[in-house]
Amino acid sequence: MLQQIAVPAKDSTMDETPGLADGPAIFSVEDDVLDEIFSSVEDLWDDEITFFRNPICDQEVDICEFIGDKEPISVLAVEYESGNPIFKAKIEKLASTYGAIRRIRRDGNCFFRSFMFSYLEYILEAKDAAEVARVLKSVESCKQALLGFGYAEFTFEDFFAVFVEQLEYVLPGKSSTSVDTLIERCRDLVISNYAVMFFRFATSSEIRRRADFFEPFIYGNLTVQQFCNTSVEPMGEESDHIHITALTDALGVPVRVVYLDRSGGDSGKAAEINHHDFVPAISQSSDKAAVPPVTLLYRPGHYDILYAK
Amino acid sequence: MFDFARVQKELVEVERDKNLSGVSIQICEDNLKHMRGTIKGPVGTPYEGGIFTIEIRLPAEYPFEPPKMQFITKVWHPNISSQNGAICLDILKDQWSPALTLKTALLSLQALLSTPEPDDPQDAVVAQQYLRDYPTFLGTARYWTETFARRPSLDIQEKVAKLIEMGFSEEAAKNALQTCGGDENAALEKLCNV
Repeated sequence: MLQQIAVPAKDSTMDETPGLADGPAIFSVEDDVLDEIFSSVEDLWDDEITFFRNPICDQEVDICEFIGDKEPISVLAVEYESGNPIFKAKIEKLASTYGAIRRIRRDGNCFFRSFMFSYLEYILEAKDAAEVARVLKSVESCKQALLGFGYAEFTFEDFFAVFVEQLEYVLPGKSSTSVDTLIERCRDLVISNYAVMFFRFATSSEIRRRADFFEPFIYGNLTVQQFCNTSVEPMGEESDHIHITALTDALGVPVRVVYLDRSGGDSGKAAEINHHDFVPAISQSSDKAAVPPVTLLYRPGHYDILYAK
Repeated sequence: MFDFARVQKELVEVERDKNLSGVSIQICEDNLKHMRGTIKGPVGTPYEGGIFTIEIRLPAEYPFEPPKMQFITKVWHPNISSQNGAICLDILKDQWSPALTLKTALLSLQALLSTPEPDDPQDAVVAQQYLRDYPTFLGTARYWTETFARRPSLDIQEKVAKLIEMGFSEEAAKNALQTCGGDENAALEKLCNV
């Protein structure tokens, strides 16, 4: 039997199929060739797994909401039922601290979408009007930074406006606003994508503003500007530590990331769950020990929202 | 979710500094989804002296999806199809971002004319020639520029006819075109501002 594999048109070097210039090229591959490719799947590194998973994620895109429903943490145990024992041990541990998870669509924008919802939900539930006033100042300095770097205002003003509207929406004292209506808003295609672009611009402005600090963390021979152009500003580019650090600093919002991966658990020791708190460089909060308002679960290549018990 | 307001802002911006940037855009249909852009061949390249027209089509998701761009003017370049003008450029594919604009995309095409990347070709024949026989490549590229991208003087009659159709007198149209060096848009602007 033949399987069809779509290969990005970008990789085709010949010019014989002008009609397909914008579409994927289709190649046929025998089943046994596929078997050979996937037989050594156990030896793959995380980024390779991500590479193979991306086409699967693309299919998933149409199925999942941007922001899923709140589910009990036990759904993770079900997901890994026949999986890696280290994962299973860690999930058990995770369940002692965290009660629920909210899954986010796997489309490369998951960090920004989970950050947005988690942060807005925090403001809504804590009725923290002072936080809104504070973050609006950070939003304004991001805007000024971008203008200073020569970005045309019309390329980002609409995205900023949508995020500001989101903040105004969760301001205390609005009887019509609830977590459910917030979910609805965050599932809206335009609102969600525009807000993601706001975060991407905010992240980019912070990285460029503190280029000397961020440059050593950039892989490959990219300049700070090239990194922002290719790995921050395009939709769907995944986030790593650089993005999280920069966004945390840009908005002054601390983020806790809990890691669910295969690390540790060797030599009979019980697997520990690691977490890292991204605390803004210029912390405006005197209470550094406080739990950040945003807590995310990281699994290789993906972020979801976690809820403490 | 086509963002008309954003496209309009972009067009105003392009119009405002087209003399400085050398990039211009004309709308083909009223719905703002189909237009034509022009760039000047960069100085010091075999494209110098040419004016290149690019077909621009905006998808409904613009600016979240890249504009579709294709050279209408035939051009001999490793990253542009000599057959149909299709372009191989990362920012028009997966490296597109809403931070970019039609103007920056056209300027990137201009930059592509200056710095071909034969190792990531769109047109394999041109790329081979570029790598194996650079002098012949230069000659061919120059010849194509002269043949297809020069605004020939014969064209003036056509432009005059176009302006007459818009309601200007033949004399005024000719004068305007002459003072604007044959640039029909500049001539039209001049006529409208009288």
